[in-house]
Amino acid sequence: MAIQAYFLPETVDEAVSLLAEYGPDLLVMAGGTLAMPLINEGVSMPAMVMGLRRAGLDGVGESNGRLAIGATATMTQMLAQDAVPMLREAARAVGGWAVRNMATVGGNLFAPPPSGDFAVALLALDAEVHLLSQSGARTIPLEEFYTGFMTTALQPGELVTGFHVPRPTGRTVYLKAGRKHANTPAVVTVAAQVVMDNGTVTDARIALNAVGPHPMRARSAEAALIGQPLDEAAIHAAAEAAMQESQPFTDAIASEWYRRRMTGVTVRRALTQLAS
Amino acid sequence: MTAKIVSFNLNGRDVDVMVKPLTTLQKLLREDLGYTAVKIGCKQGGCGSCTVLVDGEPMMSCLLPVEDVAGRRVTTLEGLAQGDELHPVQEAFFENYAIQCGYCSPGMIMVSTALLEHNAHPSREEIVEALSGNICRCTGYEPIIRAVSTAAERMNGNGSR
Amino acid sequence: MVAETPLNVVGTSVPRRDGLGHVTGKTIYVDDIKFPDMLHLKVVRSPIPYGKLNGIDLSEAEKVPGFVRALTHRDVPKNVYTILTLIGVQPDDEPVLAVDKVMYVGEPIAAILAETEEAAMEAVSKVRLDLEPWEPVLDVEEALKPGAPIIKDWGTNYFIYDYEYGQANECRKVRLGDVDKAFEEADFIVEGRYQTKPIEHAPVETTGCVAKPEPDGRFTVYTNTQALFFTLDNTALILQIPFQKLHFVGGTVGGGFGGKVDVIVEPLATLGAMKTGRPVKYRFTRDEEMRASSSRGAWRMYFKDGVMKDGRIIARKVVTYADSGAYHRHTPYAVTKHAANVAGPYYIPNVWIDVYCVYTNRQPGSAMRGFGVTPASFAVEVQMDKIAETVGLDPWAIRFINAYRNGDIRPHRKVVDDATLIEVMQAAADMVGYDLPDEYRQMSSNDREGGNG
Repeated sequence: MAIQAYFLPETVDEAVSLLAEYGPDLLVMAGGTLAMPLINEGVSMPAMVMGLRRAGLDGVGESNGRLAIGATATMTQMLAQDAVPMLREAARAVGGWAVRNMATVGGNLFAPPPSGDFAVALLALDAEVHLLSQSGARTIPLEEFYTGFMTTALQPGELVTGFHVPRPTGRTVYLKAGRKHANTPAVVTVAAQVVMDNGTVTDARIALNAVGPHPMRARSAEAALIGQPLDEAAIHAAAEAAMQESQPFTDAIASEWYRRRMTGVTVRRALTQLAS
Repeated sequence: MTAKIVSFNLNGRDVDVMVKPLTTLQKLLREDLGYTAVKIGCKQGGCGSCTVLVDGEPMMSCLLPVEDVAGRRVTTLEGLAQGDELHPVQEAFFENYAIQCGYCSPGMIMVSTALLEHNAHPSREEIVEALSGNICRCTGYEPIIRAVSTAAERMNGNGSR
Repeated sequence: MVAETPLNVVGTSVPRRDGLGHVTGKTIYVDDIKFPDMLHLKVVRSPIPYGKLNGIDLSEAEKVPGFVRALTHRDVPKNVYTILTLIGVQPDDEPVLAVDKVMYVGEPIAAILAETEEAAMEAVSKVRLDLEPWEPVLDVEEALKPGAPIIKDWGTNYFIYDYEYGQANECRKVRLGDVDKAFEEADFIVEGRYQTKPIEHAPVETTGCVAKPEPDGRFTVYTNTQALFFTLDNTALILQIPFQKLHFVGGTVGGGFGGKVDVIVEPLATLGAMKTGRPVKYRFTRDEEMRASSSRGAWRMYFKDGVMKDGRIIARKVVTYADSGAYHRHTPYAVTKHAANVAGPYYIPNVWIDVYCVYTNRQPGSAMRGFGVTPASFAVEVQMDKIAETVGLDPWAIRFINAYRNGDIRPHRKVVDDATLIEVMQAAADMVGYDLPDEYRQMSSNDREGGNG
């Protein structure tokens, strides 16, 4: 059936109230880069749609040493900020110019694997997600937002309104392996942050995308680095651990075997780059 | 299902259109307004053949609801030439054989035009990056890159790069 | 004596006739064409690779607002693609709309005509199919093993060649000399298994057409086919109408590369126009273009070469399995071209070539640039490098030594009279700055040193 209504609320309160009113019949979209292809192909046939482009959720700014990003801030806006350089590299990994003008930070949280190349950087940076419904607001670590394949901690009536990203204290690296240099789905993407003290790793975040049901932390790989110098042996151990704990899948882009191999290769390259 | 009136600026003229909910800009431009230079390649934002400029910025018209461009300035390929006089980017594409089947050309030309507005002397890498969202299956891209460089020189002289 | 005419065009840069249309966006493509009261056609496709089609339930689809009518195999006057019949290849093996079985994921089962594209897509999603899956055949060599399920009606999973000469060859065969004897004499045996994957043409413009009934009883069909008259002929045969009833308008193709030669959309669209009296547009979505339209099929090639210490290849045996997918389309023809070229542009005195056209429950393969020969070139040249490595010679040397010369006989008995491989390689060496040893600089396509001729 043809779409009955398309709402373009002008405030976030209006948005959550529409969501409360129409519930699961209302498809929420921001940039449209994920929802519109499915609607165009006839795969998704929602009765009603709500667009968030005008709801005032696109602000980007700094507060208390953290980067505040509105849910509908675009990849282009991320490319333009210099508070967190890794987020520029992550934004560049999403689509091409026109898609970056449309795709949003919040939307990337709902991108099916192997998409999620921006969110993986947020994961490596310990980002927090702000959620809002008519019953109130809450904030959770991004890592708790993903609960399974295409499932999230989002409750009915809730909207993602934005993020807070602490300024990284360690060195960061972002490396995407794809079949082309640009505008390509990931074979595997690695986003990492490593904190060193006197030549020893004291803290590490290694986040992987496209080798699991959603962007995920490679905790064994991180553990392999803690207390070690960031040398070839430690990097090798971390890469091996990442390969083991990844949960790659086969799709049109790459086979499970190749994704697993490339996880090791890409983690090794990323950490080597970070160490130099 | 209620249709809505949306007003925006199209190729320099103010237009008011009536659209059903979530009509894409691509569909409106092509089917209702006759601007068929906007092409359909995938309807997924993956090929770039539907690229239009919204306030000078490239966007995929196949993913853009008409309601979202209310009050904005939309430019399509039809809005580029001034009467008989081609835009330097169009001329450069023509002369450099940056066109074969022609289907990707509207999108390529719109993105190239936007690039040169942002960056008077793009390097080869910058041209390639700007065009990375537009797919061409015929030319192998080299003539297109050459055309953009040529156009840059014509428009802005020989900048040092 | 013929006076020399001056050249007016050769050597000049000629502006493209369609260039201005392309850069201004004024070129009209099929999808830019529309008519009042035009209907949209969308196809119901098989979700399984192989199985029995017991029934089609249109009851829910018919309720979708905008649904106009459906077409099934019963509506198609001659429900068979006749593509290869026109060039003398039998049997016709592919229905326009499936009758009682499906042979690949994406096979057309029914066509839905509706007022809008959205209504057509919704109606398609509501068609219920009664399908009984069978075990599919998905690998070319598995397909040829004894005991494999036979998926083609004539009783084999391979195309039968030379029936018109009273033979029944299971593959295309080329024979020259005695490879087994030569293998015994060879200093080295070099083997290789080469596999290409299916490749999709992926033109930016998808396949499509608009069929319009005219007041005088004819139909005008606007189409982006690469083969206008070929498509007209096939459409007329399928619809069982005289050829002159059809007026095909085309020639503007947004990328074809061989992918727009299968006459896939015109028969159904024209049939829809016949049945409803209204213009009908049938355009592939991007998903259909990638997954249902024909691809360049996969080829599996086994090479066994007998090579001498001095680099001469004295025997080449090639067994190729071409994956035609569920139907011929043009693959039996590609196999012939492959057989003629898979020995490579080299002189080899003992050759054995077997090329099978194999059927599997996969997307049908069809023409794509270099059809049948590009996979051969890939395998041949990688094999040449392998030979070079095995024998301990330079990859350039191996090719100069074995390059065919004028006067050489090729395995399919054509005498070479236009050889230029030597000269092209010499020029290529110059262009890339490779210092060719003198003995290769002095070679020519017109003679052979060392007595291989």
